Amino acid sequence: MPETTSRRHPDHVEEDSLDPVAARVRGARAGLTALLSEAEEARRQRAEVAAGDGGSAVCAWNHFENIPTFYNWNNRPR
Amino acid sequence: MTRERVRFSGMRGIASVPTYVVMQPTTLCNLDCAYCYLPFRSQDRKMPTEVAAAVAAAVNDWARDGRFSVVWHGSEPLATGREYFAELLAPFDPGVEHHVQTNATLIDDAWCEFLTAHQVRVSVSVDGPRERNSERVGRGGQPSYDRVMRGVEALRRHGIGFSALCVVSEPTPGLATELYDYFLELGCDVLGINIEEMEGVNRRGNDHPAAAVSGFWSELVAAWRRDPRIHVREVEWSLRYAAAVLDGTADRVLPAQLDPIPTIAYDGSVVLLSPELAGFSDPRYADFTSGNVLATPLPTILGMPERTPWIAEFLTGVEACRSSCPYFGFCGGAHAANRYFEHGRFDGTETNHCRNSKIRLLEGVLNHARDHQPPAS
Repeated sequence: MPETTSRRHPDHVEEDSLDPVAARVRGARAGLTALLSEAEEARRQRAEVAAGDGGSAVCAWNHFENIPTFYNWNNRPR
Repeated sequence: MTRERVRFSGMRGIASVPTYVVMQPTTLCNLDCAYCYLPFRSQDRKMPTEVAAAVAAAVNDWARDGRFSVVWHGSEPLATGREYFAELLAPFDPGVEHHVQTNATLIDDAWCEFLTAHQVRVSVSVDGPRERNSERVGRGGQPSYDRVMRGVEALRRHGIGFSALCVVSEPTPGLATELYDYFLELGCDVLGINIEEMEGVNRRGNDHPAAAVSGFWSELVAAWRRDPRIHVREVEWSLRYAAAVLDGTADRVLPAQLDPIPTIAYDGSVVLLSPELAGFSDPRYADFTSGNVLATPLPTILGMPERTPWIAEFLTGVEACRSSCPYFGFCGGAHAANRYFEHGRFDGTETNHCRNSKIRLLEGVLNHARDHQPPAS
């Protein structure tokens, strides 16, 4: 994991009033890219990456998206 | 260059076919957790087998078209007892997946054999190390932690993988690291963290300082990143959204329609969208139910959700979120139960739950990314 660099640009990401959340994401692109890469590798290690035929992976990404109880995110039971 | 704000197109209306149903096999729970939202948890009202059969009639059809799950949920589903639980499972075809959300206190070797035989997936409710479980107590106030751990040890003995669900009542510095390290040791495959919600009979406040909550989530990402063996629901969802924004595909994150998530209460009554509303009533909204499977087939109930007055109001609220909240593409709109129990209505927008578990989550993850950029970038 990279060390804390705390190179806080003056929150340039908040400049875009039309889509401030997307601007915040884009503003963190460098850190996110590294984080996303590590997350992808972690999924591979956890065998969560879907198989090529989409059928055999036990824990494919979609599995966690769509299966019930607390995995579900957008509207869910607890 | 002028960019137009993304207009998110998902979550329009309610799908007529769910991806899963929630079943309440009994109203009884053998625990009496301080933050529980369920009103009848001290009473043992069991689901008649006729209710399970009526639900299975629909579910078996849906499962033929693809993956479909039944979640046996609160109160404590294992309080139903193995023999009776088996009767409730019997009408479902073998292709239907079953899940339990359990406090694990009743799990022993016999339950493990049952869960294995019926291929039931397990998620355990536990709030971290012993001292973090003081809210999870029995009817006499006695701690439950040792019983929970005995259940977890039984799962381990039988090689049954499990997920964990953790409630955080007070996000404080150091807690996220402590919890993540604990769950690594516990050995769960998946972890979900719920900041305590004010709903149902739990009227405890859930308004926390913004910095405390976003700091909690930032710290969780840092802890996870050191050893990402666990699939952490909140981290995965945040990263998924962030990746989609960077790829220009943010509008594909939300489902096209809301999942109706029918909850079938013990008596066959059906509550859509928010299981937390089951068992409650309000002069304005009556009992929140949309029908009963003993009188009306479940697909018929799901075919006319807007006839339930609160649902029409809720859909108005979803549109209000869409038009007013910049986090809509990540969140999909405030959840129905949080709107009702925090605002008293369904057409309001931002709730404390939105702030704690959506807005400050994303902000916390982004803060972590901002503060941990690769040196060469």
